[in-house]
Amino acid sequence: MRIDLQDVTVRFGPVTAVDNVSLGIEPGEIHALLGENGAGKSTLMNALFGLVTPASGTIRLDGKARRWASPQDAIAHGLGMVHQHFMLQEEMTVLENIVLCAEPVGRFGFVDFARARSRLDEIAKTHGVAIDLDRRVGRLSVGERQAVEILKVLYREAEVLILDEPTAVLTPQEKDRLFATLKSFREAGKAIVLITHKLDEVMEIADRVSVMRAGRLVASSPLAETSKDEIARGIVGGDLPAARTRKALSPGETVLAVDHLTVARRGRDVGPVSFDLRAGEIVGIAGVSGNGQAELIRALTGLEPVRSGSITLCGNEIQKLDVEARRQGGMSYIPEDRQRMGLALRASVSENANAGRDDAGAFTAGPFLKHGAMAQYARSLIERYRIRVAGPRASASTMSGGNKQKLVVGRELSRNTPLVIAENPTWGVDIGAIDFIHGELMRMRDAGHAILLVSTELDEVIALSDRILVMYDGAIAGEVDGGEASRDRVGALMTSRAADALGAASPGAAA
Amino acid sequence: MFELIADPSFAASIPRFVTPILLAALGGALCERAGVFNIALEGFLLVGAFAAVLGAYFSGTPYIGALTAMVAGMALGLVFAEFNVRRGGDSIVVSIAINLLAAGLTTFFLRAIFDVTGAFSDPAIAGFAPIRLPFIEYVPLLGPILSGQALPFYLALLSVPFLHVFLARHRLGLRIRAAGENPQALRAGGVSPKRVQLLALIACGALCGLGGAQLSIANVNLFVENMSAGRGWIAVVAVLLTRGRPWPLFFIALLFGAVDSLSFRVQGLGLAQQFTDMMPYLATLIVLVALSWWRARRARGDAS
Amino acid sequence: MIAFDAGKATRSALPWLFTFLWIAAIILALLLFVGAPVGEALSGFWNGAFGGRRNAYLMATLSRSALIVGMALSVMLSFRAGLFNIGGEGQLVAGGLVAALVAVLMPGPPLLVLVVAILAAMLAGALWALLAGVLQLFMGVPLLVGSLLLNYPIRYIASYLVAHPYRDVQSGMVQSHLVPQETWFAYFPGTRLDIGILFTAVAAAFALIYSYRTVHGYHTRLNGLSPDFARTVGLPVRRLTLQTLALSGAIAGMVGAIAVFGIHHRYIDGMLVQPLYAWTGIIAVLLVGMVPWAVPISGFFFAAVQTGAAGIERAAGVPKEIALVVQAVIILFVASRVSGALTASRGDGDGHV
Repeated sequence: MRIDLQDVTVRFGPVTAVDNVSLGIEPGEIHALLGENGAGKSTLMNALFGLVTPASGTIRLDGKARRWASPQDAIAHGLGMVHQHFMLQEEMTVLENIVLCAEPVGRFGFVDFARARSRLDEIAKTHGVAIDLDRRVGRLSVGERQAVEILKVLYREAEVLILDEPTAVLTPQEKDRLFATLKSFREAGKAIVLITHKLDEVMEIADRVSVMRAGRLVASSPLAETSKDEIARGIVGGDLPAARTRKALSPGETVLAVDHLTVARRGRDVGPVSFDLRAGEIVGIAGVSGNGQAELIRALTGLEPVRSGSITLCGNEIQKLDVEARRQGGMSYIPEDRQRMGLALRASVSENANAGRDDAGAFTAGPFLKHGAMAQYARSLIERYRIRVAGPRASASTMSGGNKQKLVVGRELSRNTPLVIAENPTWGVDIGAIDFIHGELMRMRDAGHAILLVSTELDEVIALSDRILVMYDGAIAGEVDGGEASRDRVGALMTSRAADALGAASPGAAA
Repeated sequence: MFELIADPSFAASIPRFVTPILLAALGGALCERAGVFNIALEGFLLVGAFAAVLGAYFSGTPYIGALTAMVAGMALGLVFAEFNVRRGGDSIVVSIAINLLAAGLTTFFLRAIFDVTGAFSDPAIAGFAPIRLPFIEYVPLLGPILSGQALPFYLALLSVPFLHVFLARHRLGLRIRAAGENPQALRAGGVSPKRVQLLALIACGALCGLGGAQLSIANVNLFVENMSAGRGWIAVVAVLLTRGRPWPLFFIALLFGAVDSLSFRVQGLGLAQQFTDMMPYLATLIVLVALSWWRARRARGDAS
Repeated sequence: MIAFDAGKATRSALPWLFTFLWIAAIILALLLFVGAPVGEALSGFWNGAFGGRRNAYLMATLSRSALIVGMALSVMLSFRAGLFNIGGEGQLVAGGLVAALVAVLMPGPPLLVLVVAILAAMLAGALWALLAGVLQLFMGVPLLVGSLLLNYPIRYIASYLVAHPYRDVQSGMVQSHLVPQETWFAYFPGTRLDIGILFTAVAAAFALIYSYRTVHGYHTRLNGLSPDFARTVGLPVRRLTLQTLALSGAIAGMVGAIAVFGIHHRYIDGMLVQPLYAWTGIIAVLLVGMVPWAVPISGFFFAAVQTGAAGIERAAGVPKEIALVVQAVIILFVASRVSGALTASRGDGDGHV
């Protein structure tokens, strides 16, 4: 099936997310749709899939103009989408998830599960995508969940398959398996759209490449007729930014020492984890998300109790202290989830800026607040960290994602603590804010603070870190020096225990 | 005390205490599974009890009474859905308002229609006759429990396995579970979670209405202000404890109903009425505390 | 520019107009159902809420609002901190019961008895609220159901105490003995309004200053808006929770004491439960979306609805229970427009950008 998008425009209130885009998608082709976060790729595909209604423009399937009232319409006409955040029911079995919303019904509306099973057996034979149908999705790995999503699409007999950032959470091995499956679909004559921002993958698998920037389509051509550099320029709109330079520093005293730390987790404990962090260095913790980084951070910050082991901050053992005491002991924390943990969205900017301050005397008089002093402090953060917002009294929810994050970063960094823990500090913010936040973290490092950077963005970790620890399956799989870090080395550690990665003999390797 | 529990008439009285709690809890379970936090079961029961008397009094048959109760419950479910699901009002706020609305409507119409305050009883209110099951009534122990009860009890009993299968295998059951767990995914599949939640609320209304009918036109044929007397809240606790699973719900409702029934029986033992009245709530609190504590401990010690 | 603003104002006012029309239509339907003359019902409402000889009914409204506003303030402190304490009724009963029993049993100068009784009532309310907090923090019982279920035991305990050991047997009613007459609250000169409302006024002043101006109020507010945020920035969430509940309970207990010394002069079984003071307080807070300065106004409004309904009954023969229906309908329509406040504090509001 051939798809033609013609002059499609999508608006959210005053924002034009997709601006007059025309695009053709051919059967038997893997079409990569590239662009930065917020470039409009996902929105465009959501419009194709009926999840958002375009303000103008037409969608043609094999030449016929279509309008979708709901995704159900799009699905009925052979479109299938695998969303970036999986649309699965964790409590249900694989089989229930696959048939949901497309149930084969027997008498009185009861679901005919036997019929569904035999259909899925056929699909498994033709495409080689198979998975135990009776397992609960909540117990599956990320790669297996993606297989369930793909089975859902195949079960609905889709001719067009849209995958939104399918490799973001996969290990390289899982990614290879996915790409093999996609190639088999291409052989079967299906059209595949791959939304991504990873250039290497595009070069590896795509037949045709389209690039979006700020809601517009800036380029669309067969892969053979373009080059990596040209695509990259299309994405960022100009030449690539230069790599960040760093001041050579010899690390100072140990600020944070983690010794045989273990944390409770459903299934298997995280740890034991041991490492040191010294003044004037950034230590990055890389790894596919879900390998114990979240638990480690919660244990370090005091949000979750440790099971065993010790944490020493500036010479004092803190594993038994609560969050407040640890912060006063010299720790700041930039949480990944600014909406829930970083900010109280319905409170004002001033109320957010003054929360958790150590110098209570500066904005209180006895049990009372000094609103003027609080606003003054908020204004200083707004200026210092170039936060775009109406003022200290504005609600935090009125800020854009990047400005919210700058407020969180500003509040934590201005506490000037020896230790800063930053968890995916640039997640989902625009390029300008990313650059600014990276600059601030480097400035803190150069000023002699110790920074623990936990990030699932490999590029970020490699760009900023002096040393990189890689977490895999709840433990540290290995350490790589910042200077010698390459994506390949870190990537290998992200998928296996250190011994395997270094090629040492292991029982698993023999088999 | 022991003779009291062994007394067959005690066993025979359990079902009528279990039924309203069980039916309300099953209705609440449907909401819970559909992702609607409905803590207005108290109000649903109350409206059902009043509507049952209304229908039974004017028609002269308990079946019309029960039907009226179910329709009234469904209407209340619609009101809940309108304000919570469609207009997006907070479920706790809407629940509190629905509970007050139920108290208000029943007392208002009690005076407006029957011109009495407090309680209304009249020989014209047609109650359910006990249904005697052939053969089963002679089975020792179970006989007096299972036979000779009013219609709502049997419907409640049948609802448990039915809802279990319905949630596991029916198309709507599947969608109700999906609406509760990940409504986004349901919407992406092209099914409106709001519509599913609306249906769950209407079904909840029907079940609670029937439970209300058990209160007012089975065993006793009268309506008393605030007749539900906290049973809806006990049902809410049952739903929370079992996370809306029909079979565990059945056993919890059985336990709470048995205590309720027991408290009624021990009044003869010279214990002050206030203490016997307190028993069901204390039992609910104790079970709630015990189970919550056990769960919290298990969650913490899961990996050890 | 002006035209634009006017258009915007109209657009935001229009839904409120519809809300108002809906509520009015429902009230009208109820009046027509009982065949009441609408004009007389309306004037009866006005007279019942604000009129009467020498403003007697207005005084009744004020007297009732002393209790309702008090309960609303108690609930507001909890709700703003994100604590769904709907056990105000139990805390109120605990306060009323203890106030009456202390005043009946304690010897000594009346003023001392009065002061001790009120403090004891506040302590009782605070302890009963703390019980729900302890159940949540240490046993994992959700505050919402825990606090609600605790309403019942205290209700029956109070009922037992005034039905058996401390009953005024001669009266033939289920009630305690009268508290000493010297401890009764004085009336404002020339009225039948007792000074209990001054206690509520003090509580209101405290609650407003607390909410807007104190560090503790600021911190509990942050916890109410986002408990995860509060924990992350190191606020002592558990301590704040218990302290806030104790504060709420103490105010509820004080309201119980006001009812004893100002109105009934004894504890009568059901006197604090039947009129649904606690629930009216809750909906008064919900009506205004927990905005502190508006809570006393909202509480007064609901008190007026209740006394006004009694006026409708006198004037047009409409059952005064219509008040409950009207209150519930108002909350349904209004709260579904402003209730985002509660949702956000449970943390299920918004996801990622």
